[in-house]
Amino acid sequence: MPEFKVILFMCNWGPHAAYQELQDRAAEIPPEIQMVRIPCSGRISKALLFKAFEMGADGVLLLGCETGTCRYGTGTATALKNVEDTRGILALLGLGADRLRFASFMPDEAEALLEFLQTAISDIRAIGPSPVTPPVKRSPILEEAETIRQVVAAHDVYACQDCGKCSSACSLTLSGKPFSPRAIAGAVINGEIASQAVRDGIWSCLTCGLCYDRCPSAVDFPLFIRDMRNVLSNAGLPGFEAHGGFFQSLMRTMTSPGVRPRHYEWLSGDIKTDHKSKILFFGGCAPYFDIFYRNHLGVETARILKDAIRLLNFFDIYPQILEDERCCGHDLLWSGDRESFRKLARLNVDRIREAGVEEVVTACPECYRTLATDYPAEGVEVPFRVVHLFEILDREIEKGAVEFKGPEQILTFQDPCRLSRLENRPELPRKLLARLESWDFREMPDSGRGAICCGNTAWIGCDAFSKALQAKRLRQARETGSDLLVTACPKCQIHLKCAMEDPFQGEDLQMTLRDLTSILADAIQWA
Amino acid sequence: MTETEKGKAEKTEIIITGFGGQGIILAGRILGKAATLGDHRESTLVQSYGPESRGGACSAQVTISDSPIPYPYVRNPDILVCMSQGGYEKFGGLLREEGTLLIDRDLVRMGEDDRPRFAIPATRMAEELGRKMMANIIMLGFLTSVTGVVSPRAARDAVAESVPKGTEEMNITAFNKGFDHGAALLKGRRKKASGKTGA
Ligand code: SF4
Ligand code: SF4
Ligand code: SF4
Repeated sequence: MPEFKVILFMCNWGPHAAYQELQDRAAEIPPEIQMVRIPCSGRISKALLFKAFEMGADGVLLLGCETGTCRYGTGTATALKNVEDTRGILALLGLGADRLRFASFMPDEAEALLEFLQTAISDIRAIGPSPVTPPVKRSPILEEAETIRQVVAAHDVYACQDCGKCSSACSLTLSGKPFSPRAIAGAVINGEIASQAVRDGIWSCLTCGLCYDRCPSAVDFPLFIRDMRNVLSNAGLPGFEAHGGFFQSLMRTMTSPGVRPRHYEWLSGDIKTDHKSKILFFGGCAPYFDIFYRNHLGVETARILKDAIRLLNFFDIYPQILEDERCCGHDLLWSGDRESFRKLARLNVDRIREAGVEEVVTACPECYRTLATDYPAEGVEVPFRVVHLFEILDREIEKGAVEFKGPEQILTFQDPCRLSRLENRPELPRKLLARLESWDFREMPDSGRGAICCGNTAWIGCDAFSKALQAKRLRQARETGSDLLVTACPKCQIHLKCAMEDPFQGEDLQMTLRDLTSILADAIQWA
Repeated sequence: MTETEKGKAEKTEIIITGFGGQGIILAGRILGKAATLGDHRESTLVQSYGPESRGGACSAQVTISDSPIPYPYVRNPDILVCMSQGGYEKFGGLLREEGTLLIDRDLVRMGEDDRPRFAIPATRMAEELGRKMMANIIMLGFLTSVTGVVSPRAARDAVAESVPKGTEEMNITAFNKGFDHGAALLKGRRKKASGKTGA
């Protein structure tokens, strides 16, 4: 029988006293349990709960004090929410929600605690061993300095003329952050990688590509940053992940071949798919986001996937979907974990090939960029065409006999950097926006290829300056006089919504956000 | 089916009308070519110009049949294609009761007339393609998909054969645009009839 590992996070107060009593009388505490004493159950974030699963735990138990008896007030309530969300994620991921449990005990409840532990272990054993293979420690392939030289050469950073155009374009610099792309470039060339300021800079960049667009020497700064992050991670240096690295953990978990996600379980019956179709719809990670942000932002980004298929169905296209769809790997590649990215890429391509697909359609700018450009660039050959949903919609709508009905509204648009800049397709969403005849469309001052970032890429380096940047963007949107800020990437919606939660200036930043795919799906009609 | 009825079913009479310069006659000729050379049927064409003398209206009368056509003039068409207001006003009343009416949506206003029709912005679509004069070819594509009076392949071949050398590809693109528009329109009507309006 394989060795079972169940992590027990136990609050110092109520449950620990009960646990000590069990230890004192040498009660039969199941041997699978590895106990970690913690100050309060509320301090175990979703990222920490999930990290245990990423590292191969078969189960996780979080024990706290009863609601109302928490020494710090809200610990138990927070723990309950964190556990509920993480259980949702585990279910979607196909690991099973029941591998994670919360329970509360008072000091005098030793017997009840023992019974809980024994039942929990036997239940988790019944689910079986976790299919997750823990990541092996990454080892630097080349000596660091040599690798850095290669990265610098690969993206032609030597060509930098020190003109400063990048800094004058960079949204991060303009938000007031002491951050200068050219200074980072210069410092890396000069071998100053040991400097903390340089490392911080590498983890701060949004990889939005605005500077590359302006650079007279075509220094590909985003790719340079991407690869430098990989160098730093390979050397075992910590990154600067948002949300405690939750999303990176989640995506790394998907690199285990044995994990079988249940990506579309929530999809309702009025959507038609066809498992024999040569067209595959690749949805992306939005369903995970909705669970993660359920109690905070209340975003509804999984709707985009559903609405995308609704639109395809409208035009009699009934695509395949992969019930066990995994993440495309975008965020791993851009947060310095190329090795896991490649694993994920190979798993995805094998799975899609197995499905006998000729064309992959996606509505997510990151999936689009990653599948179409990064897979081949990273040596994973793609035996299918990759198209963005907007291309198909434009083609079908162009045939005519279709109209859009809806409330007369004024719209403005937040460009997704992966689609509009990195893949250079700013016209795709605009062609569709132009079809909404009764709506009035107004551009923000920085738009299209020149658009300002939504504030974060790949869940890296979110800080107060990101907030300043987002506030600026939302003000720009409001100043157009629009009622609705249209987005075309689930993450733009999440990050911008996040800025509206600001307790001080949130009021002035409110704006209704809707994804273009959903707008089209609700408004389209046969003429 | 009696002999006379059968005979009727085999013959289709078409009038295409518009104003001079729209390529109305060419459209008629292509339609006839498609029917004869491509679909191996009989066809006749009667053209009447008269931009100056008759208020700019010009028309092509096309008959397509499985048996020889003794009388080529069309009085009451089964299919009427109107690419101008003048043409619609002149011929609109002649269409048979169960006939099919096709119009350029931007050029023909039907006012009180609420007969069923198939409308396409052919001229606007041609402008978007960069050649206003291809509106007739777009209309032909539309006619082909909506009525099925000639086969799509025969129609495409006839288009390619009849347009100036070097413009074949462009004209086929135009034909396909009209054809797709017709197909989308039929699909939309089917969906609506089955109660599905939106996505
Ligand atoms: S814009 Fe390009 S050349 Fe100018 S300083 Fe920045 S990286 Fe160097
Ligand atoms: S990629 Fe974007 S955030 Fe990074 S340096 Fe360039 S402009 Fe600034
Ligand atoms: S903007 Fe908000 S949602 Fe986005 S990474 Fe930062 S904290 Fe998270």
